[in-house]
Formats: sequence, structure tokens, C-alpha cells
Amino acid sequence: MMQSTSPVAGGGFQATGDRPWQAVLDAQALASLEQLDPTGANKLVSRVLTTYRSSLARLLSQLSTARAQSDHGGMKLVAHTLKSSSASVGALALSALCSSAEQAARDGRHDALPDLLDQLETEAVRVDAAVQKLLSEK
Amino acid sequence: MTLPYAFDPEDALERPKVLLVDDDEVQLMLTSAAMRERGFEIVEADGGEKALSILADWLPDIVVLDAVMPGLDGFDTCHEIRSTVGFENLPVLMLTGLDDEASITRAYTVGATDFFVKSQQWSLLAGRLRYVLRSSHTRMELERSKAKLARAQDLARMGSFDWRKPHTTSGIAAAGGLTLAPEALRVFGMSPQDVVTLRTLIRMVPTPERRGMLRVLGDVHAHSTVLAIDVPVQLPDCRMRVVHVEAEPEFNEHGHGVGYTGIIQDVTDRRVAEDRIRHLANFDTLTGLPNRRQLIWRTERALDQARRGGHQAAMLLIDLDRFKVINDTLGHASGDELLVEVARRLRGCVRHSDQVMDGALESAGVRSHRSLEAVGRLGGDEFIALLPEVLDEADAERVSWRVLEAMRDPIFVGGQECFVTASVGIALFPRDGTTVADLMRNADVAMYSVKNAGRNASAVYSPMLAGRGREKLELETALHKAIERDELVLHYQPKIDVRSARMVGAEALMRWQRGHTLVPPGDFIPLAEETGLIVPLSEWALREAARQAKIWSVNFGFADAIAVNLPNRMFERSDLVEHIHQSVSQYGVPHRAIQLEITETGLMKDLQNVIPSLHRLTEIGVEISIDDFGTGYSSLAYLTTLPISELKIDRSFVRDLGITPQSSAVVTAIIALARSLGLRVIAEGVENLRQMEVLHRLGCGVMQGFLFSRPIPPDELERWLQQTVLPRKAPWIVQASADRVDLTRTTGGFRP
Repeated sequence: MMQSTSPVAGGGFQATGDRPWQAVLDAQALASLEQLDPTGANKLVSRVLTTYRSSLARLLSQLSTARAQSDHGGMKLVAHTLKSSSASVGALALSALCSSAEQAARDGRHDALPDLLDQLETEAVRVDAAVQKLLSEK
Repeated sequence: MTLPYAFDPEDALERPKVLLVDDDEVQLMLTSAAMRERGFEIVEADGGEKALSILADWLPDIVVLDAVMPGLDGFDTCHEIRSTVGFENLPVLMLTGLDDEASITRAYTVGATDFFVKSQQWSLLAGRLRYVLRSSHTRMELERSKAKLARAQDLARMGSFDWRKPHTTSGIAAAGGLTLAPEALRVFGMSPQDVVTLRTLIRMVPTPERRGMLRVLGDVHAHSTVLAIDVPVQLPDCRMRVVHVEAEPEFNEHGHGVGYTGIIQDVTDRRVAEDRIRHLANFDTLTGLPNRRQLIWRTERALDQARRGGHQAAMLLIDLDRFKVINDTLGHASGDELLVEVARRLRGCVRHSDQVMDGALESAGVRSHRSLEAVGRLGGDEFIALLPEVLDEADAERVSWRVLEAMRDPIFVGGQECFVTASVGIALFPRDGTTVADLMRNADVAMYSVKNAGRNASAVYSPMLAGRGREKLELETALHKAIERDELVLHYQPKIDVRSARMVGAEALMRWQRGHTLVPPGDFIPLAEETGLIVPLSEWALREAARQAKIWSVNFGFADAIAVNLPNRMFERSDLVEHIHQSVSQYGVPHRAIQLEITETGLMKDLQNVIPSLHRLTEIGVEISIDDFGTGYSSLAYLTTLPISELKIDRSFVRDLGITPQSSAVVTAIIALARSLGLRVIAEGVENLRQMEVLHRLGCGVMQGFLFSRPIPPDELERWLQQTVLPRKAPWIVQASADRVDLTRTTGGFRP
């Protein structure tokens, strides 16, 4: 779901220019993520981000397999799963690309898929880098 | 049915257990964290297979399922959960994407309780979870309460139903119809698979009741009123049951009746119990006939109907004759048996109806009062026949004759045949009374007139009878008190041996000194016999005679017997011998001081029952004399074997002696008979010398009668002996002397 339509001021994440991941990850989404573990005692954000990275790697590999085999169902499932978890960590652009790809797969617009998935893979690399950067700051 | 939080729902809802299923690890982690923070206890599963294996041994309050998952997806998992026993009602919340309408529809199809769109707005998800838990809890409560109701209804043999009128909505005709809850179907002995229409049920009502029921249904429907009726039905297995139907009309927004909703209940057991109570209250337990209460109720209704219809009604009071004797001699068990048989016969004398339908009385038309006609038992040996409509007196009399005729055949009870007769009194409405009490009283008066006239007949009431009845009632009351008030006295008439001109005994005769008048026996003995007072009266007479024998033996050496008249029923009493023994012992006189007289008619009427007493009396020395001999129909064969000592020639033969040749022939025959049987013979009612002379010539020397002395008080008798017999002054002594009588012995005391 698109959280960006109703912007709320984030808590721990400042929208300042010296943080390069800001262009990729939504601060507000990250702020609400942080609220699930306000004291940081459970290191929830770190654990979620770590899990996201491994999940992202796995899903991207599944995607390339599916693309190689022209498995539209497989493509759709990857897009679907990546859509919501990306939204959760604030990777809104990636989530939007996933949504479009999933919809195209569902609608049977298979010719639109390669372009969308290319964009998706490109954005995924950016997101992974941003998440890695964010984790190193934690 | 599984009730995860049946007994402590509040506690369970405080920290609800959630099974969270999502293949997306990130999502799983986030949702868990968010829900834990909001008070839920979370168990995670990363796929459908994992979820099912957790559910195998753990029961959450709710399952949250991601719809799209690799492997077993959310839909399949939900379907699996639903088909597992115990999880039919486990709440399942399906998470789908906002843009995925197909999934939403599919979620419901596979049995999800609700769906929710995936979102990062955790409080919305938590709210939805709590809502689903609450509504699921409410639904379980409802299911439980429905189950309880169904169970209760089953126990009460009760079930609900709905009936819709066929109707037309916006030009579209809709069929009406009957819907029965499974419990209601069971009441009718049917299963939920059976197709039951209103027509099916109506056909189960037996034909005689069906019309009445349809009329009630029609009325109720026409006026949209509340329905409450009991209907007999024959179930498919042929059992008859009574079903109570109670329903209220339902109305649409325009106020038109659209149907009925209500319950039916099997009330057979209650009805049976009620009927039993009603029967006990209204019917005599011995004979099964209507009892006094029921008779009065029926008569009241019959009189109402007669008043309205302007016709006559009749009441017949039927009283068995001498029932008490039967009861006393054969025992109560035999008496009861006899009453049952009498009841059976009486029932056949009228158009007896056991049941009167209350409702039928009002509605069944002009002849409905006929169902009131019945024979009932008032109590004891008294019965009543109620004839709700008679044309005239003769109509009622015909029924009374039928009653008398019905008694004619002997009734076999207690190992022997009994002949029973009845006395019937008839009273007519409105002529002889306009109330139940008046009719009963006057039927009673008429019945008593029959008893007085010799029983075994019927009589219609007339005001003349009533006067006599009242007089008799007063007499009866007074007689009851006569003994305790010492109003009874014995007068004595001497028995004379004319050859020796001696008194050889005396007959005691009862008199009633009522105020200043001396009531002769003929005026009260029959009443005493009828009422049973004769028993204490006779016992008193025996004691009094013994007392007198003692006084006379002291005063002038009296050593003969005083004869006491006893009715035959006294001889049937087993305690008679004992009673005589006590009487003589009390006054120190021998048993032979008492002699008993029984009339020939009385003796023969009940010979079998009397004979044992006669034997025992003779054994102890009490002699028996047969009174009024020659008037009855003695069996000569019996006479030779009976333990008797004396025959008393009836006064009617003595009166005609010397006037008609027949009388002297009879007297000659009696004397010859007595002589050949070795019996003494005595003539009573001797009033003149001519009679004495003839009797003497024919061979009868002992006599009593006005010629010698009328019955007189005991002290007067003593004076008579002193002043008349001893001085040998009376004309009969002179006459007797002339007839070669030994005059040398002159005392009144000794017998040759």
C-alpha cells in the first residue's frame, strides 16, 4: 500500500541531505517501522532490514529464474511478495514497480513485463545498497 | 462444536492467541511485532503447510492468513481448516491486496470469516482482529443458545413453526407455506427430510375432530387473532397424540396479516393426567359411573337446556332393596361386586354417555343435551338415572320399568345367586321441582313410598307423598331416640293352658310410649325394619324380657318362657346367640326363659341363612316358635327337619272358627301336623268361648287372646294372675272346668 499519499513527520529519520539512502527509502515508512520497537531494545529495525536484504536476494534470484523460463506465475509471485515487504521498509518506488508488474502479470499483459521487470531489477539494486548503507549506520 | 472461550471469554479476549501465516518473512516479522505490541499473543507460520501442522496440536482464537503464498496458499489453507472437525467455527481473517477483488470473493467462498487489506496501519488490523473475535464469540453464544433452545424444546416435545400466507408483491405471486423447525417435525414424528405442508398436518387429525379444527383455524385466520388449540393427531406410526398449537399473527408494514408464527407442543401426557384427574373427580371408582358431583353438574345443564327448549326432564332415584342385608351376610367385597353388576345393567337402561363434551354442548345443536343422559351412583346402593328430555310421566316410567326388569335375573356373587330388586322414585322437571336439589328430594320421597308399599316397584312423585314422607322422617328421628329415652316398653300377653287353667308362658309385645300416646307396633316396627333400627330394638327387647323373667320368678315363681318376636334378619346375625346368652346371664335366668318367635313368612324368606342360628339356639335351650303359622308357604319337607318347638295357629283361622268350615279344617290339619312332628301347638287371637271350645275339641289346649287377657304391662299381669286366674273367677275357667279340666292344680306357675 502506498503510504506516501498521507505524509506524516517521521521520528528518528531526518529528511536531511547528508543521508544518501533518503532518495531510495521513504523516511516516513522507516519511522513507522521504528515505532514498532520504540526503545530499540529488540533491534527490530536492524533485524527487519537484514531479513529484507536476504529476502530481496532470494526473490531476485527467483525472478531471474522465472524470467529465464518465461514463468509468468513465478514472476507474479515475486512481484507480489516484494511489493508489500518493500513498502514496509520504505522502498516505495520498488514497491510501485512490483505492483505494476504484478498487475500486468495478472492482466496477462506479458509484453509489458520485460520492461517493468528490468526497471524493477535496477531499482532493487539501488534499494539493496541503500538498506546496506542504512544498516551500517545503525 | 468447538467453544474455545466458552467459559472465560473475557480472559481469553484479553490476550487473544493469533496464528499468523505469511510466506513473506519481512511481513511476518513486522505484523508479529505490531500485533504483540497491541496485546496479541502471536504464533508465526511461514506457509500453509506449517500453519496446518501447528493447528494439529494448538488452538488459536483466530487465524490470520496471507492469501497469496507459494505452495499451499491462503485459500487452500482456509479450506483445509474448515474441513477439519472442531475448526468449523474458528475465526479466519484473510489478508489480501486492495486491488484484488477476485481474492476477496474467493476468501468468503472457502469459508474465511472476514478479509482485510494488507496495510502498515497496524491499529486498523488490530481493531479488525478484535472485531472478528467479538462477533465470532457472539455467534458462538448464539449457536450455543440455539442448541440449548433446541434441546429444551426437544425435552418439552415442543417446536416452532412459521406459516406465510400466499401473497403478491409488486405483481409477483409468492407461494405461502409452512416451515417447521426440526424439533417441531419430531413432535409430529417426522424427520427434517420429510416434506410437510399444512395439508399433511391437517390430514393427521382424525376426521371427527378435523371439521371443528378447520372451523377454528378459519375463524382465527379471518380475524387475525391469536391461535391456541389442542388437536388430536395420528402420527405416521399410528400413535395418537394431542398437540397444543399456539401462534400469533404477524403483520406487514401496512398492518395486513402475512402469516403466523408460533409453537406446537405434544401435551398428550398432560392431557392424560388431566383426564385422569377429571375422571377421578367426576366418576365413581367402583362402578365407573358418574358420581354425585358429575350427576349434579349434568342435571344442572340438563335443566338449563330443558328451560331453554321448553321440554320436560326426569330424574329417577334407584335404591336397591335390602342391599344392607347382602352386604352384611356376604361381606363388602361381594356387595361391591354386586354393585358393579347392577351398575352395568343400569347403564343399559338409558342412552348412557360417559363423556360430555363441554364445547359440544353449546355448538352441537338442539339435541346436544342428549349427551347428558346417564346413570350415575350417588353413593352406597343409590343410583340416579338422568333423562334430559321426556315427553311425559309415562316416558320416565317406562325407563323405571326397564330398570326393574334389568334386576330380574339373579346376580352371581360370593359364590351364590342373589336376587336383587330396586325401588325407583321419579321426579319430573319442571312439575316436581325446578332445581337439582328439589328434584333429588322429591325423587327420594317417591322412592320411599315404594319402599313402604313393599319395594320392587317405581312411583312418580306427588305432593301427597311428600306430606307422608315428612311425617315418617319425624317418626324415624324420634324412634332413634326412643331407646335412649326409655320410651319403649314391653307388654305381655299370657299363654294359657285351658285344660289346667294355668298361664304357661307369655308373649312380649313392644310398645312405644311416645309422650302421652302409646304407639302400636304396626306403626313403628315396619319403619324400624326399613331403617335397620329393628336390630337395637330387638336387642333391647331380649334384655328387657330376661329382666322381666327374673322379676316374675322372684315374685311368683315364674319358670316358663317369655316369647320375644324377632324379625328374620336378626336370625341372620351371628351374634344373636351371644347376645341372648349375655341377656339371660345378666339377670341370672336360664336360657329357656327366653323363647323366640319368628313368622312363618320371615322364616321361609331366608331359610338358608336362618337355619344355622336356629340350631345353635336350640342347642343352648332357647325354643323357637313359628308365628302366624298357616299364612305363609312353608315347605313341609323343611318343617320336619327344622329345630323348632311350637307352631302358632294364625289368628285369621281362629277368628273364623265355627263360622266357616274351611277354617276348622285348616286348624285340624295344623294340629295333626304338629302332633305328628312332636311340636306344641298354640292358637292366638282367641276372643270368645266358642273359639276356645272348638280349639279345645280339635285338640289344641294352649291359647292366647283377648278372651284371657289383652297384652298388658308386667305389673298388671301379676295383678291379673292374683285377682282372676288364682280365684278361678273368669268365665273361660268356668267353661273350661265344664269341659273336664283338672282343677286341682291352681297356680299359674308350673307346666304339667
